[in-house]
Amino acid sequence: MVRYLITRLGQALIVVVLVTVIAFLILHLLPGGAARATLGKEATLEQLAAFNHEMGYDRPWIQQYGMYVQRLLHGDLGYSYQLNQSVVEAISQRLPKTMVLSLLSTLLAIVLAIPLGVIQAVRRNRWPDYTITSLSLLAYATPIFFMGLMMIILFSQIWPILPPEAPQGFTVAEVLADPAGLVLPTVTLAIVTIAVYSRYVRSAMVDNLNENYVRTARSKGLSERRVVLRHTLRNGLFPVITLLGMYLPALFSGALVVESLFNFPGMGQLFWQAALKRDFPILLGVTVIISIATVVGALIADLLYAAVDPRVRLRGSAS
Amino acid sequence: MTTLSQAVRPGTAPDQPADAAEAPVRGLWRQGLVVFCENRLALVGLGLFVLLAGICFLGPLFYHTDQVHTDLTAVHLAPGEQGNPLGTDGVGYDQLGRLMLGGQTSIIVGLAAGILATALGTLWGAVAGFVGGWADSAMMRVVDAMMSIPSLFLFMLLAAIVTPSVSMLILIIGAFAWLGPARLVRGEALTLRSREYVQAMRAMGGTGGRAVRRHIVPNAIGTVIVNATFQVADAILYVAYLSFLGLGVPPPAANWGGMLSDGLADTYSGHWWLLYPPGIAIILIVLAFNFIGDGLRDAFEVRLRRR
Amino acid sequence: MSESTDPTVRHSSTAGQPAAAQPLLELRDLDTDIALRRGTVHALDGVNLEVMPGETLGVVGESGSGKTMTALSIMGLLPPGGRVSGGQILFEGRDLRSLPADEVRRIRGVRMGMVFQDPLTSLNPTMRIGVQVAEPLRVHERVGRAEARERAIEILRRVGMPRPDRIVDNYPHELSGGMRQRVAIAMALVCSPRLLIADEPTTALDVTTQRQILELIDDLREEFGMAVILVTHDLGVIAGRADRVAVMYAGRVVETAATEQLFRSPRHRYTEALMEALPESAIRESGEHSRLYSIPGLPPDLSRPMAGCRFAPRCRHVTDECRTTDVALSIGEHRHACLHPVPAAPATLPPRVRVEPAPEPADSTAGADQPAATPVLSVQALVKNYAAHGRGLLRRSAGQVSAVAGVSFEVGPGETFGLVGESGCGKSTVGRLAVGLERPTAGQILLDGTDIASLTGRERRRMHRQVQLMFQDSYAAMNPRMRVDAILAEPLEIQKVGDGAARRARIATLLDQVGLSRRVLERYPHEFSGGQLQRIGLARSLALQPRLIVGDEPVSALDVSIQAQVLNLMRDLQRELGLAYVFISHDLSVVDYMADRIGVMYLGKLVEVGPARDVVRAARHPYTQALIDAVPSITPNAATARDGVTIRGELPSALNPPTGCRFRTRCPLAQEICATEPPLAGNGHQVACHFPLRPESSKASARAGAAA
Repeated sequence: MVRYLITRLGQALIVVVLVTVIAFLILHLLPGGAARATLGKEATLEQLAAFNHEMGYDRPWIQQYGMYVQRLLHGDLGYSYQLNQSVVEAISQRLPKTMVLSLLSTLLAIVLAIPLGVIQAVRRNRWPDYTITSLSLLAYATPIFFMGLMMIILFSQIWPILPPEAPQGFTVAEVLADPAGLVLPTVTLAIVTIAVYSRYVRSAMVDNLNENYVRTARSKGLSERRVVLRHTLRNGLFPVITLLGMYLPALFSGALVVESLFNFPGMGQLFWQAALKRDFPILLGVTVIISIATVVGALIADLLYAAVDPRVRLRGSAS
Repeated sequence: MTTLSQAVRPGTAPDQPADAAEAPVRGLWRQGLVVFCENRLALVGLGLFVLLAGICFLGPLFYHTDQVHTDLTAVHLAPGEQGNPLGTDGVGYDQLGRLMLGGQTSIIVGLAAGILATALGTLWGAVAGFVGGWADSAMMRVVDAMMSIPSLFLFMLLAAIVTPSVSMLILIIGAFAWLGPARLVRGEALTLRSREYVQAMRAMGGTGGRAVRRHIVPNAIGTVIVNATFQVADAILYVAYLSFLGLGVPPPAANWGGMLSDGLADTYSGHWWLLYPPGIAIILIVLAFNFIGDGLRDAFEVRLRRR
Repeated sequence: MSESTDPTVRHSSTAGQPAAAQPLLELRDLDTDIALRRGTVHALDGVNLEVMPGETLGVVGESGSGKTMTALSIMGLLPPGGRVSGGQILFEGRDLRSLPADEVRRIRGVRMGMVFQDPLTSLNPTMRIGVQVAEPLRVHERVGRAEARERAIEILRRVGMPRPDRIVDNYPHELSGGMRQRVAIAMALVCSPRLLIADEPTTALDVTTQRQILELIDDLREEFGMAVILVTHDLGVIAGRADRVAVMYAGRVVETAATEQLFRSPRHRYTEALMEALPESAIRESGEHSRLYSIPGLPPDLSRPMAGCRFAPRCRHVTDECRTTDVALSIGEHRHACLHPVPAAPATLPPRVRVEPAPEPADSTAGADQPAATPVLSVQALVKNYAAHGRGLLRRSAGQVSAVAGVSFEVGPGETFGLVGESGCGKSTVGRLAVGLERPTAGQILLDGTDIASLTGRERRRMHRQVQLMFQDSYAAMNPRMRVDAILAEPLEIQKVGDGAARRARIATLLDQVGLSRRVLERYPHEFSGGQLQRIGLARSLALQPRLIVGDEPVSALDVSIQAQVLNLMRDLQRELGLAYVFISHDLSVVDYMADRIGVMYLGKLVEVGPARDVVRAARHPYTQALIDAVPSITPNAATARDGVTIRGELPSALNPPTGCRFRTRCPLAQEICATEPPLAGNGHQVACHFPLRPESSKASARAGAAA
């Protein structure tokens, strides 16, 4: 177990380092580089050279990367001239709100996806299974922003019970103070997640229901309810923990779209606006931070899984 | 060395498959085709794809519209007005003709990006899986790292740097969607490498090259093709997202995602014909590729057919 | 001869039955269907069975005979799509089919218990042992948590679990297979059921463990006063344990009788054929074993309608009447459903039963007696260690698994060398090393006198022509996407033998040799049955005209009747082509039948080597004797009559094997000196033991002496 922990931590660390390398390369190896992209097409060569010199972009890449990492370690992600604030500051204002949105929609997804997946597995290849499967596929095939728009049309226009825009509060507390505004973004983001999770729960449950130990449990005269809830559900849900980690990149991608659509002042929206304005310090900073969040999230999920599932826990300690 | 008499080998004659008489000898591809055709959804998917692709690529031959010059005198016409069956958009393009044009882009970008991603991923994953050891660890950490950057963020970062065009869109999506296939192919290579039939071949004196050529590639190809169809579906969605986020192909070029995003602006003005047709088209084509992929998965699974 | 009146009259279950004894369980005309994607399989067709209180009923049959479906139908545990479609299941006088579901569930949980085949997957991996064992108590008797735990410990103690108070808090994967099966039995017995159904309870276990478990079930039956249904494919298991036997074939009971009666005088032609197909019935003292009777063909497809006796297509005594008349079980104590039954035997034992000690063996077998020729394969002080280490970047060696530890033996031309041992003894590793699939850590492998380690490139490739491997699971050993013609051509292509036409001709010859028609060439592996695949696998092994074939459990996955076909084929080919075999198996009776000489392995070491009949009939190593004693035989009650070396405990880990004699931790004869390693000593019949059970027979050493 301890060895697994160390190995997994080491892997995560390597991945984080690689993420910074990739982000760095993307910005600096492309034609024209950051200078051209920041200053625009009309900038003269002199202007570009001055910009590069000022930013240290005329030095060797290795050195630039070294400087970049050094700044990163000091919590310095650069300065956004367009927002007129440091990247760290901009992100720290927005990140908690994105986390609130992601967390709420994940919770909603888990609460709904598990029973849906269980129903599908227990009634597999019958109408409840087919219905939920069709809806999941439909949800998966629909662009999130189209889905969000349908929600707005349905619940703000045709049947106006919810506001079409997300809360605009500056702090998390202010955002939470407007729960009605949070409903549509959360639900929109959750729908695709539900589709993915319930498919996963379904297949995990179907696999487990075909296991021999289930037959043993039935031979003890247990009710079908007890067989499903006490035996298969536990075993089927353990691996879902790792799915929570694996799904994070897709969740954040979804959040980017949802925040843009509902005008939710989170990281995604920050990133979107920065992309439209070619604000590279923000783009790079957000990318690195969101990637680190993904790596850490996946790490936590894996470790949690290893800690709670006796199959993994004990194998780890034995080998 | 001649054959022994039947008397010495009892059981020879009846020891044929019980259904040998009825079951015609069929190639593996034929058998797969039968399984594919048994999957009704797969057939629906294939039909949908043929229908949508047919409309988009053949439609303009019969239904001529001007998709280059704007016509500000015919803006936001409702369906049916002035001979525009699906109305016109905000700059006067005929919506039906535009759907065909946009569909071409969406399908081409989806197919090309999906195939590019699959090809790149297969190459990377196969090399990692075969070489193994240190190189494998290093190559897979790179995949881990890129996978932990949420794909939309990555695409937008790139799209912000380069000017999007159709070919650039294909390159961008293809260059970053290969991670999934890479992982998949590597896992497949690792399992196939340890299969007993590969060991049997090695016990006959066969080389690693032969193992790859005759055993691993033919058995992995199904997984790769199935995954490619899902990649195409995902790529079409990515194009839509990029367009929505304002980083799609610039006009007069069109794609369904861009049309849908433009249609969002018209939500409150009641121009429904600008919103729903491209939205539904995207959903249908993505569903089609998912259905096809599911059907192919069954078709490639030889073991499903074991008695 | 009161039995066998008119066999065509359908038996009505109450007639002819003593009124006093009320059966605990009675199946009347039970039909079970299983709906599959294509069509419905009629798994059971009019099954009639009775189980008296306190008796053991053995249900025996090959795969697809319906024996497991019978057990699952009784328990109401049929797989998805399965359904009892007709008949009655009377348990303690009540028809389970007409009772409400809750009631049936309670009966299943309290009055019946079931033990399944695979102990590795039959327990919930994430639930503590104690919780699983006590679950029926908690559910059906509403027992409190603390008391449930106490009773779990108590029942675990009664099934012979060491340290039950600690085991209750363990998880299943922390226990060995045999221990898990004990847990499964404890779980089935925790509510003191009247009926225990054991479905192949020992098939996944090693023979020595099998013996322990079967004895445990026997003891518990008496202790609990319950009835047992023992479902198995192994006639030997039934012979030693059951009071009565029911033989099933193709979804029907074809014969039932008291065990002794059935084995002494089988009446149904299928039962007769099945017994003749067992290797142990073909073993002759002379050493030249007679040919196995192999039942031709395959069992019928149960999804098609059938008329007449279901065994008719494969029966040597078939008449037209058999094909059209539906035969029901006869009435009486010994019932059978056969129109042309075997005449009832007199009440003495038939000569088939084998005699215990070896008399003077005649010098007749090949190979063993011609050591003058260069051995085809010579293995010298072979060692194979595997590094056991953690995963990931921070690899740290966690020691070495000693899979093979100094094994030496020779195989002469045309000889069969049997390698026998329980799982984990290293016998498969020896096979893989011999064919060059893995490289030894130390020691030499000589093929025709050439050290294969010295070969490189072309020579090494050519070496593979000499020796071929035959797999247990031929389906896994064939590329599922290649047609049979490509599969058979592959060795020829790799070794660049002949041109296209020559290869096609060679393939045609191979098919003739293994008795398959040309039509198989255009088909794919998934279209064949197990026996056919094994023939194709054998044909592929023969393609390069090797001198030696290493068979790794080549018949272990096959039914008895199919196994006989493949064993006969292997022997025929050996005679025709002068092949040598290394025959690796866990099944001593198969090895006994096939091998000229036998090597017995335990935990990576060869503990005994000698002529087959000497090793089997006059074992010198205590482990070999224990192995022999544990093998179930169809001679009834033979198990109790043996001299009985019983080994206890668990196989030690190969990661940290015992020093000295590796068997000493479980050996009843172990002394202090056993901490030093005994050499493999002797002339013809060698043993690695400080206290051999008997001296080398004079004949064996004399022969070896003459040869040297």
